[in-house]
Amino acid sequence: MARTLAFIEAITEALHQEMERDDRVFVLGEDIGLSGGVFKATSGLLEKFGEDRVLDTPLAEGIIIAASIGSSLVGLRPVPEIQFTDFITVGMDQLVQQAAKIRYRSAGGFSCPITVRICCGGGVGGGLYHSQENAAWFVHEPGLKVVMPSTAYDAKGLLLAAIRDPDPVLFFEHKKLYRTIKSEVPEGDYTVPIGPAAIRREGTDLTVLTYGSMTHVTLEAAEVMSKRGVEAEVVEVRTLAPLDKATILASVKKTSKCMIIHEDKRTMGIGAELAAIVSEEAFDHLDGPVVRVTGPDIPAIPFSPPLEKFFMVNPEKVVAAMEHLAAY
Amino acid sequence: MATKGSPRALAEPEVEKSAYSRELLLGLYRMLVKCRLCDEKARILFRQSKFAGNFYSGVGHEATEVGAAYSLREDDWIAPSHRDWTSNIIKGVPLKFCFAQLFAKATSPDRGRSSPAHMGYPPLNIITPASSIAGQLNVGTGVALGLKKLGRDSVVVSFFGDGATSIGGFHEALNFAGVHRLPILYVCKNNLWAESVPLRLQTALKDLSDRAKAYGFPGLTVDGNDVLAVYEAASKAIVRARSGEGPTLIECKTYRWYGHSEIDPAKYRSKEEVEAWKKKDPIPRFEKYLIDRKVLGEEVKAEIAAQITAEINEAVEFADQSPYPEPAEATDFVWS
Ligand SMILES: Cc1ncc(C[n+]2csc(CCOP(=O)(O)OP(=O)(O)O)c2C)c(N)n1
Ligand SMILES: [Mg+2]
Repeated sequence: MARTLAFIEAITEALHQEMERDDRVFVLGEDIGLSGGVFKATSGLLEKFGEDRVLDTPLAEGIIIAASIGSSLVGLRPVPEIQFTDFITVGMDQLVQQAAKIRYRSAGGFSCPITVRICCGGGVGGGLYHSQENAAWFVHEPGLKVVMPSTAYDAKGLLLAAIRDPDPVLFFEHKKLYRTIKSEVPEGDYTVPIGPAAIRREGTDLTVLTYGSMTHVTLEAAEVMSKRGVEAEVVEVRTLAPLDKATILASVKKTSKCMIIHEDKRTMGIGAELAAIVSEEAFDHLDGPVVRVTGPDIPAIPFSPPLEKFFMVNPEKVVAAMEHLAAY
Repeated sequence: MATKGSPRALAEPEVEKSAYSRELLLGLYRMLVKCRLCDEKARILFRQSKFAGNFYSGVGHEATEVGAAYSLREDDWIAPSHRDWTSNIIKGVPLKFCFAQLFAKATSPDRGRSSPAHMGYPPLNIITPASSIAGQLNVGTGVALGLKKLGRDSVVVSFFGDGATSIGGFHEALNFAGVHRLPILYVCKNNLWAESVPLRLQTALKDLSDRAKAYGFPGLTVDGNDVLAVYEAASKAIVRARSGEGPTLIECKTYRWYGHSEIDPAKYRSKEEVEAWKKKDPIPRFEKYLIDRKVLGEEVKAEIAAQITAEINEAVEFADQSPYPEPAEATDFVWS
């Protein structure tokens, strides 16, 4: 039976069900137990599973990640929460030098099945230090898997897949989606596999590669363009590492035009890599430049509403770029 | 492939110093000599260009390494750092794999991935180390959390230097271990230098064990060149950890005889300082103790050295003869 759940409810449900199903799974992080998480993603877990499996940790991202890595080496399935991606830098050494490399440097002797839930994203008035995304940093680290869902259905299914995955998975949750996005979610167990991209809208005139909250912005813009006679195909790259090149390239070859939309900063962002892949591997099929619509290259999302608005990609910006590309 | 641990596996540590068995004393001695001879051999091999990269000699630290790790069981864990290649030997990794690791051959436990001396051994729960200082003691702390959650009575020994105690992660790890009373021994090899940085520029403390006070568990300072002192401290801490009483920080004061690595002439240290510490060599000191108590005689001593030398030669031969990994293996083991 499916019913409609908010994005965050789907996450909470996945955690409850997986902890019931598999007693190796435990959650840890700042404020996740007694308070149920600053956004309440972990609500009800402490009451149901007790302190042994729901750890309110000290304020120390390094050891939150390290405790997860270490306990995964002995066979547990930790699901740490990073309250805001802005503070993940404190745990960077552990993520990049330990989690991403321990399997490699032990030639498969150790593996690291952790799922780091990371709350990210702007457009909610969070200011410089509660709005960042930072997924691109980790996509640059082979050994880590990086996913970012945009629907409640995928949030549950991808989270369950991540927890069952034998490798470290960074699970990015855009905070703006938590309560604004609702979709049908089966009550029972299912997974959305890590890897495949999703075609959210079929079209013949141009391909848009996007992910996270920008998926919704893009779909809105695509409807506007449809009324103007341009049919965009929207490919949601919900797994950012490893990339589903096959789906991406097949779509670009079909439409002969490609644009990339992401919320985060532009330079060396995920769009840069996607553009490089498309130009290397689908060059002969392109009828126009690969176009990016991204956040600007400023250090982070400023707080004052007009400044934040300047940063955020919105449907109008996307429509303008689509007009530009469609004209080729 | 032999993956068995040492013959001591599953034996509990002997806790009463006055009642240490002859077998234990000779075992400790044999292991000290083995570590020394292996390490000196590694240095020679490096000088002969038998292997590339670098080597971080632990000569001078043997009493600390052996004293702390000798009584570990096979199911216990070690989180080594860059200077703890010999901790693999102590835990019972066959020597041939230790030398294959230096040679970066396909027969090394990590199939040639890590730099020489950065060695772990998954079948015996030795965590293959990253080079980032203190990273390892954080992961070791996580292992201790996992062991506790699983209700096992295994423990973790984490080795690190004085320099590592200055990194933020050291604080995060020990604080966490204190909160959860984790089964871990933090063994700080205070050798007075972190590469070329002297202790006085590393910390305002006299004894690094004082740091334990901040984390709510015991910290003690021992003579890191006295194998029995280290063994005694470690075996008590192991018993403590196994019985759920939590972590211990053991500072072992010792000294690094050679440069930070084999390419470091270590001109920043005075000859007098180095010579004074060489006089405190842990091995002759323990030999004298054993000879005085008639546990060791010249004959046994020579026999031990000969046996170990033969074992080393065989291991080096194995490493030398082993193939290098195939170039395309570089892409293996990124993801499961
Ligand atoms: C985070 C980090 N910074 C710097 C280095 C380079 N480095 C390697 S060993 C070392 C000194 C370590 O000193 P200590 O912790 O006292 O250990 P010792 O070498 O004396 O055994 C330095 C600076 C490193 N590996 N990791
Ligand atoms: Mg040192």
